[in-house]
Amino acid sequence: MAKALNDTLGVKRAIKHFDFSEPYWEGTRQKKLVIQYCRVTGKYQHFPRPVSIFTGRRRDIEWREVSGTGVVFSYTITHRGTALFRGVEPYAVVSVTLEVGVNFIANLVNCTAEELKVGLKVKPYWHPLEDGTHLFMFQPDRGAA
Amino acid sequence: MSLRDNAIVAYAETKVMEKSDRDVWVLSGEILEELLDKTGIDKSEIDGLVMAGLTGTGAANPFWAQTTADVLGLEVGFCEQVHVGGCSAAGCVARAAAAIDYGMCEVAFLLFADTHVLEDRTDHSHSYRREWTDPYGLMGPPGAFGLLSRRYEAQYGLDYRMLGKLAVTQRNHALLNENACEKLRVPITIDDYLSSRMIAEPIRLLDCVMRADGAAGLIMMSRRRAKEKGLAKNIIPIGYAERTNFKGGENLVDVTRSGHEICGQKALGAAGIGIEDVASFHPYDDFIIAIMLQLEAFGFCKPGEGVQFIRDHDFSYNGDLPLNTGGGQISAGQAACSSHNLVEAVRQLMGEAGKRQVKNTRNALVTGIGWINYGRNWGSSAALVLVPE
Repeated sequence: MAKALNDTLGVKRAIKHFDFSEPYWEGTRQKKLVIQYCRVTGKYQHFPRPVSIFTGRRRDIEWREVSGTGVVFSYTITHRGTALFRGVEPYAVVSVTLEVGVNFIANLVNCTAEELKVGLKVKPYWHPLEDGTHLFMFQPDRGAA
Repeated sequence: MSLRDNAIVAYAETKVMEKSDRDVWVLSGEILEELLDKTGIDKSEIDGLVMAGLTGTGAANPFWAQTTADVLGLEVGFCEQVHVGGCSAAGCVARAAAAIDYGMCEVAFLLFADTHVLEDRTDHSHSYRREWTDPYGLMGPPGAFGLLSRRYEAQYGLDYRMLGKLAVTQRNHALLNENACEKLRVPITIDDYLSSRMIAEPIRLLDCVMRADGAAGLIMMSRRRAKEKGLAKNIIPIGYAERTNFKGGENLVDVTRSGHEICGQKALGAAGIGIEDVASFHPYDDFIIAIMLQLEAFGFCKPGEGVQFIRDHDFSYNGDLPLNTGGGQISAGQAACSSHNLVEAVRQLMGEAGKRQVKNTRNALVTGIGWINYGRNWGSSAALVLVPE
């Protein structure tokens, strides 16, 4: 029998944003994954920073929408959660390499422990939050070639 | 003047406590008293105070080092708090030596005192955690090391029994260390390690360090001054390097590699020894796998060969590569600003480790690991090579 992993969707999250992250959160209102891109080096970066981590300059940063599909780089099954997540263990936290070459840490839903492995193809799962933004998560991309 | 013109002339250490029954400044006073008694120096000779920034109790006080100087009645020309997380203890040795070289002080008191179980004022809210890991319930360091371990396993394979071997070796050392936290001075087996409950799978309970309270300290001065004062058992730092934010300007890195690759080469190069010459190894241990990753990064073995290296070597105090002979932090308790492994190395080189004394005291390699960054391994790496005078 497949070992169940909790989807953590019942956990109430109130997230305080840094002002330099706001374009990301604005994008999530329309379920768009918008991350930082350095126009000088042509590389993406995540998490958001006030400057390009490649050039050190603010002016080199722009925000671009990306697909949010990727492959699991690593994962951990949390058996002892943080205070907010106490009682919903076990749940999965994955680090996913997005197609644009950055790793993104998030929860994984709609997945069993048996299915979860490094290299698993995943796609976005958008979890609505009370403030109108969405929390970006992953789910298995079973249709992927 | 250079690093190796300086000497550690004395160490002091309290017993590690599950939770302190005394204030952090009482512990600091005990350390000061013991160091003065051991060295015979007068309090007025101390003109440098160097404290580790890795403190829970002092975390919210921006004047922590100055306040501590006031509480202890110290007038100093160099008052410093070193903020490289778990590299701070080794980092304090390098900075004290630099300050002595530069003439900012002549006799430095290095103080590692913390009661972060009794009173923790740590605040991580202004960090990536609040937006990028807290909303996903990633549990701080155990969660980060869970991700790191699975990635290592996917790249190289991982025999958890060999991590268990390291856990057992360190525990056996804690059994021989009266200053180790009593709660941890219970024998364990590899099976106990494997069957300990999962925290952030594959990280088990017996992979994790346990926070504890306690204090330690060192006195440093120039070798010349130590000689003038007739201090006989001196330990010389002959190589030090640290690296913060390894590959921090890249967006995707191999998380099994760390800044220890760089600072290991630099520190050993400055010391003029090869990795095969290391007589005892005192790696920072917040999680057992961090020890294995350091064996690889420092070049004891190649990347991906850590498990085989552990299988082939005996890390006990009387083995071929003595490792964390005081129990490490994982079996002695994460106390005293994570200075435990440094103080143990000094004690070993002074020949004062009693029942767990290593035979080869030609040198010791001490390391640091500090802070947890986003989706990688750790933020700072440090390496310090010590030799007896």
